[in-house]
Amino acid sequence: MLFIIFYFQVHQPFRVSKYSFFDIGSSKSYFDEELNRYVFNKVADRCYLPANEMFKELILRSEGLFKISYSLTGTFLEQAKLYRPEVYKSFLDLWQTGGVELITETYYHSLASIFDLDEFLEQISEHFELMKREFGIEPSVFRNTELIYFDKLSDVLLNFPQIKTILIEGADRILMGDSPLYPRLSYNHAHLLLLKHYKLSDDIAFRFSDRSWSEYPLTAEKYVKWVKDLTLIEREGRNLYLCLFMDYETFGEHQWKESGIFEFMKKTIELLLQEKEIKFLFPSEVHQTLNYTPKGLSVPTPTSWADTERDLSAWLSNSLQWNAMKTVYELLRKAKSKGRSELIPILKKLTTSDHFYYMCIKYFQDGDVHKYFSPYDLPENAYKYYINILTDLEEKLEE
Amino acid sequence: MRVLMLTWEYPPFIVGGLGMACYGLFKALSELGVRIKMLLPTEEEVFFEINNPYEADFPLAKRKDGESLSPTPLKFFNFLYKIPEESVYAELKPFLESVPPEIHKKVEFKEVPEEVIQRLTKILSQNNSLLYKVFLYAQKVVKISQKTSFDLIHAHDWLTYPAGLFLKKIFKKPLIAHLHATEFDRALGFGHPVIHEIEYLGLTYSDCVIAVSNYTKGIALEHYHLPSEKIQVVHNGFIAKEKIVKKIKKFKEPVILFLGRLTPQKGPTIFLEIAKKVLSTGIKARFVIAGAGEMERELMLEAASMGIGTHIMFTGFLSREEVEKALSLADIVVMPSPSEPFGIVALEAMYFENALIISKQSGASEIIENAYKVDFWDVDKMVEIILDLIHHPEKMKSLQKKAKAEVQKFTWDGPAKKVLSLYQRLLKEGSCSS
Repeated sequence: MLFIIFYFQVHQPFRVSKYSFFDIGSSKSYFDEELNRYVFNKVADRCYLPANEMFKELILRSEGLFKISYSLTGTFLEQAKLYRPEVYKSFLDLWQTGGVELITETYYHSLASIFDLDEFLEQISEHFELMKREFGIEPSVFRNTELIYFDKLSDVLLNFPQIKTILIEGADRILMGDSPLYPRLSYNHAHLLLLKHYKLSDDIAFRFSDRSWSEYPLTAEKYVKWVKDLTLIEREGRNLYLCLFMDYETFGEHQWKESGIFEFMKKTIELLLQEKEIKFLFPSEVHQTLNYTPKGLSVPTPTSWADTERDLSAWLSNSLQWNAMKTVYELLRKAKSKGRSELIPILKKLTTSDHFYYMCIKYFQDGDVHKYFSPYDLPENAYKYYINILTDLEEKLEE
Repeated sequence: MRVLMLTWEYPPFIVGGLGMACYGLFKALSELGVRIKMLLPTEEEVFFEINNPYEADFPLAKRKDGESLSPTPLKFFNFLYKIPEESVYAELKPFLESVPPEIHKKVEFKEVPEEVIQRLTKILSQNNSLLYKVFLYAQKVVKISQKTSFDLIHAHDWLTYPAGLFLKKIFKKPLIAHLHATEFDRALGFGHPVIHEIEYLGLTYSDCVIAVSNYTKGIALEHYHLPSEKIQVVHNGFIAKEKIVKKIKKFKEPVILFLGRLTPQKGPTIFLEIAKKVLSTGIKARFVIAGAGEMERELMLEAASMGIGTHIMFTGFLSREEVEKALSLADIVVMPSPSEPFGIVALEAMYFENALIISKQSGASEIIENAYKVDFWDVDKMVEIILDLIHHPEKMKSLQKKAKAEVQKFTWDGPAKKVLSLYQRLLKEGSCSS
């Protein structure tokens, strides 16, 4: 049997204002309200609303056979309520179909797992609380920001016994030739690891509308054939798990409606539902369907799903990023120790990984991707605004 | 006295200190009765008249027939402007050939030889956008000056020297080359060979050279082999605004400011090194790097790699108003330029009540008393001074007050009078050597 696990990341950062040196000490807002509202509404119209509609329809029509999973970050839900309550409602509707599993991550979509483990645990707790409050659930599956994972993370997550499964990137350098279709155990055997099949995930997420791609145009028939071909590797009847993980913005925002992405998804899922040997699964259900004991997997250094390197370099490859990140966690610790509860949520919003992504100055093709996502003209300016804001906060902390 | 002023910068069209120096000097000269026609690198064929101090603040653009141009915003040469080589020759040649017949003169000025003109024409016709602009400027200046009467030509820095030499050749009027900066300062050593050549020709075939400092005079003597008596030193002044300076306390910690273009000439990396050493003592202070330039990314990466959080800050490009804001929130200003012909920032810093540390390799250090003067490479010394000032606020305060008091005497009055007497001597005696 081949099980397909769809997982979509839903996130929006609070982008910072063009906060100049001379704005320090003024009452200028740290976050660019107008920009954030604009982006949210744009993505809501292009992606969240139509994609939710599509998946809801697919779930209802499949009579419970089609299943997907999401993680909704805390900052996303805050913005949804703030800028577009109908998006929030639309996710609630979708959730009520029963075909959706919600998984947990850091509330602020941060890299706290790298810089401040106490804060990391705190942000997961905050997300658990959010899930309880909004959906009345306690997720048992965890995904770290941008699928960042390393051995020690599994140890740290023992603080949350309810977490049983972790989603990670099926990076070549950790699999060393093994297939990502077989789930693995963390090095301490405490967690089940589901590995993203990056080839088939990225065919949809990145390459779908790329005219220079040799497989363009990608049809549902072609894609389903690739999926079926995967089963050829297994001759002993072990279940396979195809993990298709991607940004939710894939549908309508990264791949425009005009590219035919929605029709492609509908058709692909309809075809897959007709296959006897293929089933959709929630990440938390993998445990129960496994008909073998997974092998252990060691990941000594962090992997992620970002850029061609699939490591931390998208957020931590230059000194600007290091200095900015190190400083924000220092200030956050200081704010906590001084009990400055009014500054803590602001600093937490500044831990969101996107801020550091905008400061990236790697070259080659990923530079273009970073530029595409960045609201600022230059990485230097992204850094300047960010540091100016931290300076203002630092001054306030001294009061 | 009617002077044709050739300059590449004038407020609000400013890149560096040249524009501010010209503004101060022209305004003070107009107060002394000098009538100025200024030629800027505009796309339009216009000149600007400054006949009184008010017009120095708002110079009027006029067409060559003397008609005022309605106050439309002027277009300055944009960077990639280029015209075919042939047409440049075609435009300039007739003027060069139709040099007016020799008229009887009281004074013989050193001629600009035909070869110099030919050489300039050749090097400026290369495929280089900046040199092209210099050529276009020269061409425009020659065209406009035909209907203008003037007694002498005063050219500011190398960008305008070729225009000055062409004018001198055609109109047989004396030429003053004003040296605000040399290519040796900008490049910290040998720079662009063509620019060196233009500087050499301009200085050699002018009738008088004004240097902004003894330091700059020294460079001209050493590298361009000019006779010492040909170079007169006139230090820059400073226009004190009427308004009262108000210090702003923006940060709880003392602010140490670097203000200038982020180029090697201004020494921003030296400033970073100072910051690193001061902060490593555990002292709390904010180091602000104000300005834009090609070294920005390099400096930012370097600063961030020191892991100093928010204690080294970058402002990016500053408007004039922001420059003043930056100066009024600082406590100490450091000007660590490895080679600074003058350094007007030093005077501005004093006006805004800052304690001042300047490199000995600067023109300003020749006239300022109330500042620490340190060799630009002596980072440890500068660190020591900063720590001392931070630990002794009364000392810092008193130095700031002294600086403020001293800067009042650096008006443009004196320098303008000196320049006027050079004009008079040049017209009377054919040279400005005393």
